[in-house]
Amino acid sequence: MIYEICNWLISVSDSFSFFRLVNYITFRAILAALTAVIFVFLFSRPFILFMHRRSLLDQVRETGVHSAFEKTGTPTMGGVLIIGGVLSSMILWGNWKNPFLLSSLAGMLWFGGLGFWDDLSKIRKRSGDLGISEKTKLALQGLFALVFAGFCAGPLTPLGDGLATKLFVPFYKYPIGDMGPLLYGLFVFLFLIFVSNAVNITDGLDGLAITPSLFVVGVLGVFAYVEGNRIYSAYLYYPYLRNAGELTIFGAAFVGAGLAFLWYNAYPAQIFMGDTGSLAIGGTMAVASVLLKQEMLFPLLGGLFIAEAVSSQIQDKIGVKWLGRRIFYRAPLHHNLQHMGIAETKVVIRLWVLAGILALVSLATLKLR
Amino acid sequence: MVVYTLLLSISFLFFGIILILVGATRWRRLAGLGRRVILTGGGTGGHVNPALAIAEGIKNREQETQFLYVGVRGKAETVIVGKAGYPLRYVSSEGFPGLRPSLRTLRFVVRLGFGVLQSIWILFRFAPQWIVATGGYVSAPIIVATIILKTLRIAPTRIFLHEQNSVPGQLNAVLGKWVDKVLLTFPQTLSFFPRNGVVVGYPIRTSIVPRPREIALKNLPFTVSNGRQVVFAFGGSQGARTINRALVDALPHLIPHRDRLFIVHGMGLASSEGYNAVADTEGRLQRMITPEQRNLLDEFYYRQDYFHNIADVYSISDLVVCRSGAGSLNEISRLGIPALLIPKANLPGDHQVMNARAMKCGGAAELLFEDTILENGVVLEKLEGRLLADRILRLLGDRERLHRMAQRSTQFLRKQAVERILSELYEDHSFDNGIGYHAEPFKPLLSNNRLLQLLSRAYQRSPEQYDPVVVVGDAADVVYYRHRAAGLLSHKMWQDRNLGVKLIGYTRYHEKIPTLLHMLSDRTPAGRIQRFFGGDFAEVGFIRRNIVAALQVLNQIDPDIEASLLKAFEDPYFEVRAQVCRAVVHFGPLLVKRDQWFEAMKNGINDRCFEVVVEAAKAMGEIGDDARAAGELLNLKEHHFWQVRDAALKGLGRLVDRDIIIPSPSLLSHINSFILTATDFRPHFSIKETYRCLQNSCNQKLGAGREELDPRSFSEHLARKR
Repeated sequence: MIYEICNWLISVSDSFSFFRLVNYITFRAILAALTAVIFVFLFSRPFILFMHRRSLLDQVRETGVHSAFEKTGTPTMGGVLIIGGVLSSMILWGNWKNPFLLSSLAGMLWFGGLGFWDDLSKIRKRSGDLGISEKTKLALQGLFALVFAGFCAGPLTPLGDGLATKLFVPFYKYPIGDMGPLLYGLFVFLFLIFVSNAVNITDGLDGLAITPSLFVVGVLGVFAYVEGNRIYSAYLYYPYLRNAGELTIFGAAFVGAGLAFLWYNAYPAQIFMGDTGSLAIGGTMAVASVLLKQEMLFPLLGGLFIAEAVSSQIQDKIGVKWLGRRIFYRAPLHHNLQHMGIAETKVVIRLWVLAGILALVSLATLKLR
Repeated sequence: MVVYTLLLSISFLFFGIILILVGATRWRRLAGLGRRVILTGGGTGGHVNPALAIAEGIKNREQETQFLYVGVRGKAETVIVGKAGYPLRYVSSEGFPGLRPSLRTLRFVVRLGFGVLQSIWILFRFAPQWIVATGGYVSAPIIVATIILKTLRIAPTRIFLHEQNSVPGQLNAVLGKWVDKVLLTFPQTLSFFPRNGVVVGYPIRTSIVPRPREIALKNLPFTVSNGRQVVFAFGGSQGARTINRALVDALPHLIPHRDRLFIVHGMGLASSEGYNAVADTEGRLQRMITPEQRNLLDEFYYRQDYFHNIADVYSISDLVVCRSGAGSLNEISRLGIPALLIPKANLPGDHQVMNARAMKCGGAAELLFEDTILENGVVLEKLEGRLLADRILRLLGDRERLHRMAQRSTQFLRKQAVERILSELYEDHSFDNGIGYHAEPFKPLLSNNRLLQLLSRAYQRSPEQYDPVVVVGDAADVVYYRHRAAGLLSHKMWQDRNLGVKLIGYTRYHEKIPTLLHMLSDRTPAGRIQRFFGGDFAEVGFIRRNIVAALQVLNQIDPDIEASLLKAFEDPYFEVRAQVCRAVVHFGPLLVKRDQWFEAMKNGINDRCFEVVVEAAKAMGEIGDDARAAGELLNLKEHHFWQVRDAALKGLGRLVDRDIIIPSPSLLSHINSFILTATDFRPHFSIKETYRCLQNSCNQKLGAGREELDPRSFSEHLARKR
């Protein structure tokens, strides 16, 4: 909103020329982050109180880990705060006509809404295992993924001509091939579903999902800045993506909201993000990396999420359901570490460290190509 | 083209409506002329015979009644109904395949749908006033068709559904909600049909009546001298493999008592590829009975494939050994004979077990359960011959009990079921059906998963006082659950076998320990793909782990079990090894001073999986009997995992408690050098504990108030009023 107003004022009279500041991405990014921080700080305590009063609390879930029991009764659905922070900040500072921003916001809202429904039904049914069914969830995630894949590979794509289906890998300058719209659509479809569920699985300990996702979104913001800048992208041999810079602002707002959320979500948590938060974060990260052509960087950048999801799937689908044995002591990864006698706080911080290292390595791919 | 289709469909609709109108008018006209009844139901004789018995009753009252029997081609009704002289029409139908969608579901829907169309046609042609259905999928199409026509207000027809079993079949349970009346055999079934159920009993054809012994004997091809007790064993018209084989196996045990016994054996008519009753029984007789014994047999044993005059055999019997289908039970009850029932296991809804339970509760029968075993790769139901012989002899020996059972047997089921049914059909209250009769609450059997949940919770609450019979509340039910669990062991899916193993543990089925031990050491490899992904044997890791856990719950140890546990400690799967250590802790005092166990736990302490090390260290504390054990545990003081160090300290604590090691300054200094930093801690939320304290004290005071304060004030209140 402010972006539009300022640009209008500039066009009206020269005396408002210092409002040109809003055309600098860095300036808007910083203010967007601050706005999101302030929003989350302002609304968190009333929100937590509200959740307690309506007893919208987390439900018991059979995880087999001791601390899980102590945690029942913590309010959930904190993802609403993150989404609210990002959304309000984007309403103020975003360029509303930017396709990158709009599709990222759409992903966030769709997945967030899906998670919200899941959380609500868990609370209604008084059980952590009985949300909306796995199939419904997958179908709704798949629906968005299909539309989004069509959007990327089709004529409305915000990327350059034919760029969307090209396949870029980290540490290599040129696209290694063209996947064609069908294969690419399938890839995007699977990628979105996988990433959003990966964050959902990771969200098992206080603060475990939020910080690594801040790293991921932060790094993606940097990539957006580079790729959206004609000079930097030419210098670093990236395809120039017009308007992609807007994702930097989006990423900054997200980091701001996430940091403020961590304030309350840090161990011992006063609020959980719930599926509302984890699915929204997963959806956002997936959409942003697809838009920035960094799909192949994600396994490295979000390696933690991948490890969590893969370990959980291997244990459950291959081990327990099929082979009739445990392959890891426990799954997903963070429960395994807990089982091996590492306290929750220590597990969380160690995994943050790992996620940070992965983020640094991913940043290095900017130049090392 | 479109116009043509439209015209065609409109004309079809038009003619359809006209036809329906004509049909409905004809229906009402015909209804005024005389009684018209459709009989339906079948699949087995157990469904057909009651329908015919009801028809007999109606015919006795109204001679000119017209009947039409609707059945499925090629089933029992094809033979029986034709002989009884009723006109028969066929429709298409199929058994309900269950809720899971599959090709069979599709076929079921198509067949049933076609059957309903056929039924509508039959209904319009015959225009019945009553439908008397006796269940089974055979009667489903006609019932559905009638319900449709009734809702459209075309058919002025009343539907009566007779349910023979104590647990209604799936189709009956659904359709029963829509019919006019459900006629029940067992009062327990009322809970399924609270709105329209009436308990009437099981209609039996007039040919089954008791006869004096002398007359009955004259009709039979064998003679029984006076003073001998007659046992009649049979497995229904087709025969039952379990009963036939068990009876042959029991014969050698019965020979010593041949002077006071006579066994009549109905082998059954089954002659399919799967089972040929007569051939199988004769073959078994050849194999199991020596020639000398065979000569003795003729004195007291008579066998025949099928008794057409079964009422005569019943009349001379002192005890019946049979399956617990509704038909057999009702015949037995009508003639008042004590029974030893062997219900067929693993049927949908366990209805034979339910029937048998009902009769046992009435004091009219005893139960024996068949076992499910795997013999040469074939799943078989089996009953030990010796067990059967013992039970027969024990029952026959107690004449007073037999007499009591016979009396109860006559009282067990409602007599004059046909009269009761006619009273319901004509609604003339010609027979008092016991209005206001309240069914005792129906206690259904638990599903395997429910049972496991119930038992495992009870066990975890207090392992020492655990007793499955107390938890379940009925010894006979526990026996049945045990057999059902044993049946699971021969399933193909490992998940089922796993469940069976757990249930055998929790129901304390000690007789199955050898099977469990065999499974535990079974080294049949898993499929190649499974092994590629990390699987090992066909009896998967969870099964082996749970076998060890079950042995612990069974709480029994002997050299065989001990040897198997020792062997299991070398299992490639870490959870099995850890579970063995837990079992060692459980059986601790019984395993002390065995070098092989000390060696095993020593190896356990050096295991590559820390879980095993933890459990082995604890176990070492229980079975160690000299300083070597302490030395092993002290070696763990710098172990990487704090749980291992913790377990070592616990083990040392047990050694000190058991006075194996005597505290000394050197021991203390060793203990002092343990690394005590840990990567884990238990959070302690003060506010939550304060809350729990407050809640507890409130609850205590509340509880005290309810017991002491309320009644007193209430009685004071009353006294003042007076």
